[in-house]
Amino acid sequence: MPPMVASSKPHIEVENLEVNFGAVPAVRGVSFTVAPGQQLTLLGPSGCGKTTTLRAIAGLEKPVGGEIRIDGAPVYSSARQINIPAEKRGLSMVFQSYAIWPHMTVFENVAYGLRVRRTPSAEIAEKVDHALGMVQMRAFAGRRASQLSGGQQQRVALARAFVFSPSVLLFDEPLSNLDAKLRGDMRLELRELQHRLGITSVYVTHDLEEALAMSDRIVVMRDGLVEQIGTPDDIYGLPRSAFVADFVGSANLIRGRHRADLSKDGLIALETAGGQLIYGTAYGRPVGAELTVSVRTVHLQICPQPPPGTPNVWPVRVEKTVFQGDFSQLHVAWGDQHLVVRCAAMEPVPAGSEVYMTVEPRRVVLLAPEAAASA
Amino acid sequence: MTDITNRRLTRRAILQGATALPLLGIAAPAVLAQGMSKSPNKVLDFLTNADVAKAEQEGQLVFYCHENEAGTAGIMEGFHNDFPKIKTSYVRAQTGALYAKILAERQAGRFDVDVLQLSDLSPAFDFQKKNGYEHYESPESTGYKKDNLSSPNGYFFWTGVDPAGIAYNSEKLTGNAPKGWKDILDSRWKGKISCKISASGLQFVQWYALRKIYGDGFWKEFAKLQPHALDSRVQLFDRLAKGDDMITAVGEYPAYILFKSKGAKVEFVAPPDGLVATPLIVGAVNKAPHPEASKLFVDWAMSKRGQAWYQTNPNLYYGSVRTDAPPMPTGVKLSDFKLLYPNDWDEYASQQAAFLKEWNGILGL
Amino acid sequence: MERHPRPVSAAAPSAGSFPAQKLAGYGVAAVAAVLVLYPVFYLLQAAFDTGDPVARPPTEYGVDNFAAVFNYPQILLNTLTVSFAATVMALVIGFVMAWILARTNVPGRRVFEQLMVVPYYLTPLLGALAWSMLGQPESGFINQVWRALGGSEHIIDINTAYGIAWVMALFEGSVAFVMIAAVMKSMDPSLEEASQVMGASRLRTMLRVTLPLVIPGILGAAIFVFAEMLGSFAVALVLGLPSRYYVITTAIYQFVQQYPPRIQLAAAMGVSLFAVMFVMLFLYRRVVTSGSYVTITGKAFRPRVVDVGRLRYLLFAVCVLYLLAAVVLPLATLLFASVQKIAVAFPSADNFTLHNFSAAMSMNAARSALGNSLILGFATATIGVPLMGLLAWLIYRSRLPGAGLIEYVVMFPQAVPRLVFAFGMMWAWVVFPIPIYGTMWLLLIAYLTVFLPLGVRTISGVMLQIDKSLEECAQMCGASWTFRTRTVTIPLLWPGLIAAWLLLFIASIRELGASILLMGAHSKVITPAIVESYFGTASELTATLALIQTLVIGAAMIVLVAFTRRVGAHPID
Repeated sequence: MPPMVASSKPHIEVENLEVNFGAVPAVRGVSFTVAPGQQLTLLGPSGCGKTTTLRAIAGLEKPVGGEIRIDGAPVYSSARQINIPAEKRGLSMVFQSYAIWPHMTVFENVAYGLRVRRTPSAEIAEKVDHALGMVQMRAFAGRRASQLSGGQQQRVALARAFVFSPSVLLFDEPLSNLDAKLRGDMRLELRELQHRLGITSVYVTHDLEEALAMSDRIVVMRDGLVEQIGTPDDIYGLPRSAFVADFVGSANLIRGRHRADLSKDGLIALETAGGQLIYGTAYGRPVGAELTVSVRTVHLQICPQPPPGTPNVWPVRVEKTVFQGDFSQLHVAWGDQHLVVRCAAMEPVPAGSEVYMTVEPRRVVLLAPEAAASA
Repeated sequence: MTDITNRRLTRRAILQGATALPLLGIAAPAVLAQGMSKSPNKVLDFLTNADVAKAEQEGQLVFYCHENEAGTAGIMEGFHNDFPKIKTSYVRAQTGALYAKILAERQAGRFDVDVLQLSDLSPAFDFQKKNGYEHYESPESTGYKKDNLSSPNGYFFWTGVDPAGIAYNSEKLTGNAPKGWKDILDSRWKGKISCKISASGLQFVQWYALRKIYGDGFWKEFAKLQPHALDSRVQLFDRLAKGDDMITAVGEYPAYILFKSKGAKVEFVAPPDGLVATPLIVGAVNKAPHPEASKLFVDWAMSKRGQAWYQTNPNLYYGSVRTDAPPMPTGVKLSDFKLLYPNDWDEYASQQAAFLKEWNGILGL
Repeated sequence: MERHPRPVSAAAPSAGSFPAQKLAGYGVAAVAAVLVLYPVFYLLQAAFDTGDPVARPPTEYGVDNFAAVFNYPQILLNTLTVSFAATVMALVIGFVMAWILARTNVPGRRVFEQLMVVPYYLTPLLGALAWSMLGQPESGFINQVWRALGGSEHIIDINTAYGIAWVMALFEGSVAFVMIAAVMKSMDPSLEEASQVMGASRLRTMLRVTLPLVIPGILGAAIFVFAEMLGSFAVALVLGLPSRYYVITTAIYQFVQQYPPRIQLAAAMGVSLFAVMFVMLFLYRRVVTSGSYVTITGKAFRPRVVDVGRLRYLLFAVCVLYLLAAVVLPLATLLFASVQKIAVAFPSADNFTLHNFSAAMSMNAARSALGNSLILGFATATIGVPLMGLLAWLIYRSRLPGAGLIEYVVMFPQAVPRLVFAFGMMWAWVVFPIPIYGTMWLLLIAYLTVFLPLGVRTISGVMLQIDKSLEECAQMCGASWTFRTRTVTIPLLWPGLIAAWLLLFIASIRELGASILLMGAHSKVITPAIVESYFGTASELTATLALIQTLVIGAAMIVLVAFTRRVGAHPID
């Protein structure tokens, strides 16, 4: 990952953005910034407003409140009544459906943005060739665009988007129409390209893996609001809310009473209704009387014998084993709750086994209180 | 009304002035002859006061006529044959509709018509009163009796007469053939008898005339037969010939001749009371777009030549009222028929509203 | 879609594309508004004018004219009877044909589908003329044959309400077929398959699954067709007038033609009719856009074709029968009549003649009318396509405020019978300072106005199929509105624009209701000319004229279709 220049001015700033879809508010006050050369991903389930936010930045949706600034200059401002049309914002976009123009050749598709800018023909030819080369589509330059496969169209859409050297690239779920194998490959290529060109990107996806693999920062959205902003590590390792915890990777949520009297070593103790005791880390979040912690399924470990030196050890019974190929999912009975443990499938643990379960306290993350999380 | 050309202004002023001069008693044509800016020309075989060269330069004639399509086209064909440089175009509609149309247009400031032909004197009077006709005295007026010209002369004339009796389909007829007007009221004709629509001038004359003879109840009886009303005599005889109607109350003699010659099984009855007849009125229209052509047409129509065309064209077969007209193609002269005309044309005209109301009622409108 | 209106700041760098969009958008909206609302205003004015008919502007206003309308209950009843009967017949024919052609494996399906639109091109006028010759009680050919075979009196009487409805259904009912076929094609076949998998018989599936699913669509079609039939004119004119059977449209025509013309009554009748049609169309929209349309997903499915076994030969015969009744028989009848002096079913040898053809061609009206119609067709289509294309864009794609209102204005002529609209135009444009009354210009304006719904709907149908993202992408590449319209939108629309052009061309040539009131001496057009011929000449001559018109237009169509097929295949780059 390229080093973040912490003190540089943000390239894109979104402030208190509100966008309506008809009468329904789709984006209800979203704020974030994107540093130059970074990729920021908007992640969330369908209907959360991520695409609408992206399109508002592009200029294809008209917000009803807030401000969007690019390089410090507002392109949309409700207070100052500014709304620069999309074609004047100098951004570029890759659409979910690729939007390849079927009546033009591949060359003409890619050259479009340059033609709009009245670039001389020789320069166009050179730039288009270069762009097609970067996406390995040089051989297809003369083809009619309607004859391309999905993956090929995707590459052409990409080439078209950066050929005129925009400073910002917007991606609207560009890989969601590709099959899984291709998606994986394209993910890497896109990331590679973005680094090479050093373009600031705003990327929209509902695919968790994609977001984690490609982003410098992630904005998790739900119902038109921001749930959490952070690096992939932060989002994954330190979810702030139950929603983020469960959306970004699979997690077990455990509720219980705070046992302040049992705190030790800077750890907090939580007692479930069924009497189980678990130690976790607060990470600066407010500690109330009732607590919820999140434990990732991969962080729970199953051992035949109780490991020493950790306060989190319990005897558990394996109820069910589900083989998932690369890993297995174990459903264990823990007190009166069921937890899910993900472990490597190399050593199968048969159902019915009585084993010990443990987890490092630093992996037991305290979530912010519900009210604060969904504000 | 403002006039367009100086020349027209001059002539009109002279004409008006002429009639105002204390020269009453002297026949109008003589007075006009003094006031004319030139003496009549002879073109082909008739006289005209129109500037033929100018008319040909105008190159067009717009004719509004009540005749059916073929008839109107036929009239235009005759004129065009004699004056090929003048392109003809026409609008046809039954007299009532035609008159309504031209009035609406003139009221809106549209003056697109050169010559008007109607099948009813009543609207002709009205149009004359409204200064719709151009006052133009044709040198061919000498061929006509005063009764067949407008009063004063120069507004319109009778280009022909359309007489009508009873006609029936001889193959489909049940029972005895009708003999007189009263016979059309027989209940066996119910749903099988035809007549003309209320816009027809001939129908108005028949209504007036038969009412005068047989009283108000006549047409009330007729209404019970639920007659079919048609726009043109051609359509009417078409149905008669094919048997869609058994009999018609308005069997126009010209149509009878035409269809008989085509081999239709139709018979004509001339009732002893007489044939109802309507004059066919032609006049040049005021503020015409092609004034010389319109005057030329009037002269042509009035002339022996034009009248011969009107009489012999199979789509027309009019009876001519020109004093020196030959017999019709069938050998019959108009004077051989007993014709039923209104005696008092003014009284006739005043009855129009009553006619329309009753007739529309008969037809269900 | 309501947005809070936020004006673009003047401080922003000059947004060059926005004024261009606004100019084009509001400009074309203004044109549409004038075209549609100007005549409607005069129509309403005349309907409420209770003063002296000759005085313009009106001296007093009131509702007496509408009260007078109820003096003619028979006419109102006739209109309802005929429209209802015609709708039922059209729906039956449409449903049967749609079922056969979309759902069964009858041979020659493709060909039949193409042929189903031929009656529309032949025009209801021609159908009425032909069926008049076939079905008159005395002189009708069918009845003559019937009597020759020993029957008595007549077997059909085309001059009755049901005769008129039959011809209307045959020639104006193909829209029912198109709509119902569309409904059938948009049904998800897996819904039926699910029923069958659970063991239901074919019949049960049809009754319990298929029928209930298509009923909303059929209901919509029924309402739409009923509205169309209310405004039908040509058939009632030819078949109803001579036998005194009036409907509202022909009554209006008669009132206008009388002397003195009863303009106020005619206007009131027209306004009443269009109020009813308006309500019908409003209902139609409610039915079509209501939530019960789970089957209409916008995707075109391949409907499941049912193997009907031996039945398909019977169904084939049914299709052939329809085409016989609607295409072959009428054309053959006209041809048969045109070569006779006096048309009968069993002519003697000396009854044959070619004189009618020479007479027809020498008729000034015929020649000039044909020429005028072709010219007008070209003009209407060529001006109409850009005009309606812009309107379609304005309503369905632009985000300009007020666009939704324009949709109502544009679709408004749909609710008004052509004749009534033309009446308003006649009344309105006669007082217009520029002298277009009685000229081809007035006809052009009239056609553009009454075809607005047709053109806009056709083009918008194509436009909506184009993925918005194709245009948005051009925007993101920096293209101004004019640039991207030229380089992306129009090329993509091109085949649709060509189709719309053809549609407008045909529509203007077959137009009757508007033209018949607005024709002048120098602006005769063919379909009203044929009607005039019907009322003013022998029927054989009229048949000849109609035949000649069909041949010439048919030839023009073939040429145009061939030409546009080449042009439409390769959109400009």
